[in-house]
Amino acid sequence: MESNAGTKETRSNLTASDGGEVTAFESLQFTDEIHRLILAPTTDNSSSFTALLELPPPQAVELLHSPDSPKLIAASPPNVEDFQGSFRFPSNSGLIERDARFSLFSGEANNSNEKRNSPESKNVSANPEKNVKSEPAETESSQPLVSDPTVEKRSIKRKDRENKVKGSTKKSKTVANENSEDAEKLPYVHVRARRGQATDSHSLAERARREKINARMKLLQELVPGCNKISGTALVLDEIINHVQSLQRQVEFLSMRLAAVNPRIDFNLDSVFTSESGSLMDSNFPSLVMPAIWPEVQGNGHRQQYQHQWHLDTLQQPVWGREEVCNNYITPENSLLTYDSSANSATLQANHLKMEL
Amino acid sequence: MNPSSLKSRFATRFLRALTQIHARKPICPSSPTEIFRRYRRIKAAADKSMAYSVRSRRTWTGAVLWKLRSRSCGRRSVKTSTLVKSQQAIEKKTRHEKQNKNTTTTTGGHGVGFGVEATASELRELVPGGEAMDYCNLLDETAHYIKCLTTQVKVMKKIADFYSL
Repeated sequence: MESNAGTKETRSNLTASDGGEVTAFESLQFTDEIHRLILAPTTDNSSSFTALLELPPPQAVELLHSPDSPKLIAASPPNVEDFQGSFRFPSNSGLIERDARFSLFSGEANNSNEKRNSPESKNVSANPEKNVKSEPAETESSQPLVSDPTVEKRSIKRKDRENKVKGSTKKSKTVANENSEDAEKLPYVHVRARRGQATDSHSLAERARREKINARMKLLQELVPGCNKISGTALVLDEIINHVQSLQRQVEFLSMRLAAVNPRIDFNLDSVFTSESGSLMDSNFPSLVMPAIWPEVQGNGHRQQYQHQWHLDTLQQPVWGREEVCNNYITPENSLLTYDSSANSATLQANHLKMEL
Repeated sequence: MNPSSLKSRFATRFLRALTQIHARKPICPSSPTEIFRRYRRIKAAADKSMAYSVRSRRTWTGAVLWKLRSRSCGRRSVKTSTLVKSQQAIEKKTRHEKQNKNTTTTTGGHGVGFGVEATASELRELVPGGEAMDYCNLLDETAHYIKCLTTQVKVMKKIADFYSL
């Protein structure tokens, strides 16, 4: 039978192109085959459709997933018009919803492939119909035009598309949405460019949005240390939240430390900063010399007092322990050392601080 | 050190504020209450200087500055009518946007599970000004906020280490 021969040829075309990408030329051949398939038995509409159906499931999936498949749509609309009468299933919406239900909880494409193949192959023919139905405003002549920008958009989106092994759950979902105005949110939906549905501005915008969100999540993963290994959006978000909380807490503790520090020097550091902005190194320069001259003479008595009185529970113990240790360490030294003029030590300290920063 | 980097801008501003804060001579400078007061001022100064040091105007910087201003004005109880009105306007806006958020889908279309909504709302509470943003912008703001927080922590740590030794 000619249709069988046609299918065999399409199969060979598909297998030839299976390894690499479907080139335009091969897709043209493909569309020719489909043309032949569709046009040949014009008298017997149902048989051509079943010939399409008889494509083995992987080929049907390949048919759906081929990136140049919109050309099929572009080529076929005039023929679809002929078939509209015969292709009208009484349970179209039922099929779509069944498909949606099948693909609802599919975590992997493999699992749902088998389930989806039979309804999908039916959807192949239903899709052009859906296209026609869902765009009632467009005339038949303008439909190929509509499909072309789709192809362009698709080729652009192809660069953005990350994962090729994604189920077509999104397709069925958008179709279900269009059909039944169902706004229910599926727990987890894979992103997939749906042929025939790409002309829908909603799905395009949604897809672009989703890709933006994914890109930003990746950025965040890089920012937060230790987030690269975690997979899964929820855990990454938890990690991000923890990181932000810890950073905010660190700022609080550091400001508490700075409040407790009692600098006796009038540090007019901004003038020093502006003058010496050129000759600075950004390194962890340990300030060795200056701390010894830190004048804590006056504050010592007070410090001893408040160290005992300080009862804040929220503070980190190690921070305050260090404060105490440092103060105790400095006290004997301060009594020995004399205090230089404030200007000198201010500039020296400023230099050290700048080098550290 | 790059003189025009976020780090140096923040450091300059923050140190200036620190000098101002330490320049006030209270009666007993080391009492716990005085230290606590200073801590609040220093924290506010840190947030403020960070918000001002940012080159590109972000939502969270405006929210931080607005919170600081409203808090300081409230404490002094000098609530001008304009300030009250602006506060009410902003509250109305956030309430309106919250309603919008509930009806439209924020993470929706993204198709992520409902658990993400909870974490997203938690993130909104953490990031200043996050309540009135959609998910996409929220992630953007979070990234910038984390970057600024890390610079803040680094600079403050160095200053604190320097002055506490």
